[in-house]
Amino acid sequence: MEYVIVLPILISVLIGVLLLISSFVSHTREKSKAFISDNFKYTGVVSLITLFVCVAITLYVAWFGPDDIVLFSLVDDIPIHFHIDDLGRLFVTVTSIVWLMVCVYAIKYMKHEGEERRFYGCYLIVYGVLVALDFAGNLITFYLLYELMTITSVVMVLHKGTKEAIMAGLKYLFYSMAGAYCALFGMFVVYQHCHHLNFTAGANLNEVLASENREIMLVAVFFMLLGFGTKGGMLPFHAWLPTAHPVAPSPASAVLSAIIVKSGVLGVIRTVYYVVGPDFIRGSWVQYAWIGFALTTIFMGSMLAYREKVFKKRLAYSTVSQVSYIFFGLALLDPVAMTGSLVHVVGHALIKCSLFLSAGLFAFKTGKTHVDDFIGIGKTMKVTLMAYTLGALGLIGIPPTVGFISKWYFASGALKADLNVVSILGIVVLLISALLTAGYLLPITIRGFFPGKDVQIEEKEEKLDSMSGVIFIMAILALLIGILPNPIIDFAREIVATLF
Amino acid sequence: MSSYFMLIAVLLPIVGGCLIPLLPLNKRSWLAIYTEFIVITTSVLVFLIIVNRPDSGFVVFDLTKELSITLKLDETGSVFATLVAFLWPFATLYAVEYMRHETHEKTFFGFYTMTYGVTLGIAMAGNIVTLYLFYEMLTIVTLPLVMHTLTKEAIKASRTYIYYSLGGAAFAFIGMVYILKYGSTADFVAGGVLDMAKIGNGTDLMLLVYVICFCGFSVKAAMFPFSAWLPKAGVAPTPVTALLHAVAVVKAGAFAIIRVTNFSFGTEALKGTWAQNFLMVLVIFTIVYGCSRGLKEPHFKRRLAWSTVSNLSYILFGVITMSPMGLLGAFAHMICHAFMKITAFFCAGSVIYKTGRNYVYELDGFGRKMPKTFFAFTISGLALMGVPGLCGFVSKWDLAKGAVTNNTVLSFVGVAALLVSSLLTAIYMLSVVVRAYFPGKDFDYSTISDVKDPNWMMTLPLIIFVVVMFVIGLNPSLLMSQLSEVVDTVF
Repeated sequence: MEYVIVLPILISVLIGVLLLISSFVSHTREKSKAFISDNFKYTGVVSLITLFVCVAITLYVAWFGPDDIVLFSLVDDIPIHFHIDDLGRLFVTVTSIVWLMVCVYAIKYMKHEGEERRFYGCYLIVYGVLVALDFAGNLITFYLLYELMTITSVVMVLHKGTKEAIMAGLKYLFYSMAGAYCALFGMFVVYQHCHHLNFTAGANLNEVLASENREIMLVAVFFMLLGFGTKGGMLPFHAWLPTAHPVAPSPASAVLSAIIVKSGVLGVIRTVYYVVGPDFIRGSWVQYAWIGFALTTIFMGSMLAYREKVFKKRLAYSTVSQVSYIFFGLALLDPVAMTGSLVHVVGHALIKCSLFLSAGLFAFKTGKTHVDDFIGIGKTMKVTLMAYTLGALGLIGIPPTVGFISKWYFASGALKADLNVVSILGIVVLLISALLTAGYLLPITIRGFFPGKDVQIEEKEEKLDSMSGVIFIMAILALLIGILPNPIIDFAREIVATLF
Repeated sequence: MSSYFMLIAVLLPIVGGCLIPLLPLNKRSWLAIYTEFIVITTSVLVFLIIVNRPDSGFVVFDLTKELSITLKLDETGSVFATLVAFLWPFATLYAVEYMRHETHEKTFFGFYTMTYGVTLGIAMAGNIVTLYLFYEMLTIVTLPLVMHTLTKEAIKASRTYIYYSLGGAAFAFIGMVYILKYGSTADFVAGGVLDMAKIGNGTDLMLLVYVICFCGFSVKAAMFPFSAWLPKAGVAPTPVTALLHAVAVVKAGAFAIIRVTNFSFGTEALKGTWAQNFLMVLVIFTIVYGCSRGLKEPHFKRRLAWSTVSNLSYILFGVITMSPMGLLGAFAHMICHAFMKITAFFCAGSVIYKTGRNYVYELDGFGRKMPKTFFAFTISGLALMGVPGLCGFVSKWDLAKGAVTNNTVLSFVGVAALLVSSLLTAIYMLSVVVRAYFPGKDFDYSTISDVKDPNWMMTLPLIIFVVVMFVIGLNPSLLMSQLSEVVDTVF
């Protein structure tokens, strides 16, 4: 019965592969049947239905199904092992919701991008891989899926096939590989000093051995943090993110920025809190270096976003900065701050998704990608810009949005963690970054609605369609979490309580 | 099984190959059938010998009273023999189709078949003299294969090849003489044969000789600074570069190093000495050096050859850690790398066979036109990078584990080198893959409209190798349980 865990993963990967093959075949054959030719109209709908079925099974399995399955072994009797715990449930639920909604958006959007079947094929495969990643029960399984995720998601970055897209795709691939190999280096060492590699709340370090080789272990953990941090765009390996995310088609940039970067976060949480244990690195140079990297990234990301004029790039820099909020919360090694991180994972996923989707819709309807061209855009796209503003307010952290709640937890966590100067510095950086966030997100709203007297734009009524509807739903969901935060906070607290 | 079957296995391809120019094989298909028949018969024979391994050695003849040419197959030799015997029939099948567009086929298949026998001789060598004899023979029989096209470039390459190889063998000879003088016997005995009483205070000399001998044999395994011949030898027809310069010849070098390290000098005497550290530095350097040269190389086959340089040093790294875990990784990588690299080379060969294109930048858009070939190439690239689920990860995992258990600074540097090299591998392999599948939006497919996959003789080996890569990757215990038994007999 426990094989039901593998079911959603298999279905989505299988259908995805079929779509990819059919896309490939239609190119290699001169004549092809109607249902595998590129003008088949219902590719999007078919994918949506498949995805819906997969999401339904996934959520059922995650919340009500069996929670453990051991498959064949990969190396040294370390098996492919899926184990569903609360952290996995949180991540998989967010992933599923976002993935499904973006798919609704994509049906219309991808019509004008072309190569629909290749896109949906990858989209489904990556979903399967991500579900498996969230369910992974040991470090080897996690690593396997982490690599697979990189390799399959790169096709989405390459989608447009322009020279710029190809270079960005390669950059994405090689940065991610570099990160993965850093993590692998750490894994080799950590493996020697652990009882086993299964994720255990708290830690499963062999403490005698580990304290004997403390220095090399710290180096190993540091490399794992850097490695998994690469996916989250943490310094020093952040440069790929602002290049790769904007060149993908908007639905792909949305999921890349909202969900796939979070797998780096998941990797870090699994390493620090489920294998090595927070106590092992508390007070060591690793913790301080980690906090340093996270804070620098927060500040630098916001700064660069503020200076960037291409809208999607600006949002990508914003992702760099925002994900490092999460890393900062984790690096404090404090229960309160970590609660904030988990809330921010959810909030940022929803908000950044809605922002990227609105960027896509602006480009889709008006062809404008540059921030300076957005003057007066509220006159013609009122609905979208309103949804965008809702999301932007959430990201800045104005109460009562979700951004405020997570920031509140970061700040109180930082004060509680008792790291003297670092705590104060952290709070200062958070505040400056919040100001910068307002500075790079809000002018679009202000100038969009109030272009000034000398700009003449004909007002047009924008109807709510499937695309702007999705953006709205996401922004409202984020807002609702902000107004009624208790269920999520309680859930996050339960997870955190098992770890400290 | 009687021990003289080993002699038959070695002699059958050698004699069979010699006969090719003499026999009236006028039609091409007769030549193909004859060659394939000899190769398959030998392989079957080798498998039978391995399954019912004869306990005693077979003395072919005596050179002097103490020195004899002996064939003896132990567990370590079986690993190499199995690998070679499995790959040769497939490579021959590929060669039969590939050589259609080359000349002098009779000479080619003659030497190609003889090489099989000589390689088996190396695998079955029972003492260091026999090993040395076959090792020298290997240089000589493969020389005409490198020279095959008789272009100026090929002749130059073969000259480089022979200078390097004979020079290396001369160094190895010093090691052999030392073993004969200071060892209790010339035979291969697990744990080494050195007689410490005879050596007395001369341990430094012993280590120096070991370093010289290691370097000598490492010429064939293309360790830095002796690696320059291998990419040059890429001018040979692809079946030669694929089978000989990625498997048989280069791994014969690695195999000989395993023999002298674990069976003649013995790890006991070598572990923790300056010799080990010195060689480890060279090996680690080669791992990174080979990859970075590969990265710069636009010529498709030469790029793969540089990759071989780096990967061969993975094997040597496993050996030089001198731990059971490291040797296990070395054996595993010997086998896994064979499958990965032969696949990659066969893909390069298919491109040359079908279009005559040699450079990486000429491969735009080929993914759509040669789907089977480039699927196989993608898989081999991912495997070489060490993506879990494919065979490359299995061997890399064991190599790294062996190094980490060693727990010295240098071995951690080695692990880092393995990973840096993985990253570089990702760059030079995947940039080809991306180019083939995503040639750019404006790419005009009509310029390559006549490009197609080659026929089954060239794609069947690819498909089988891809399946093997997946099987080893997903179920490594199949392979590793066998190999760890072998390692247990060594330590």
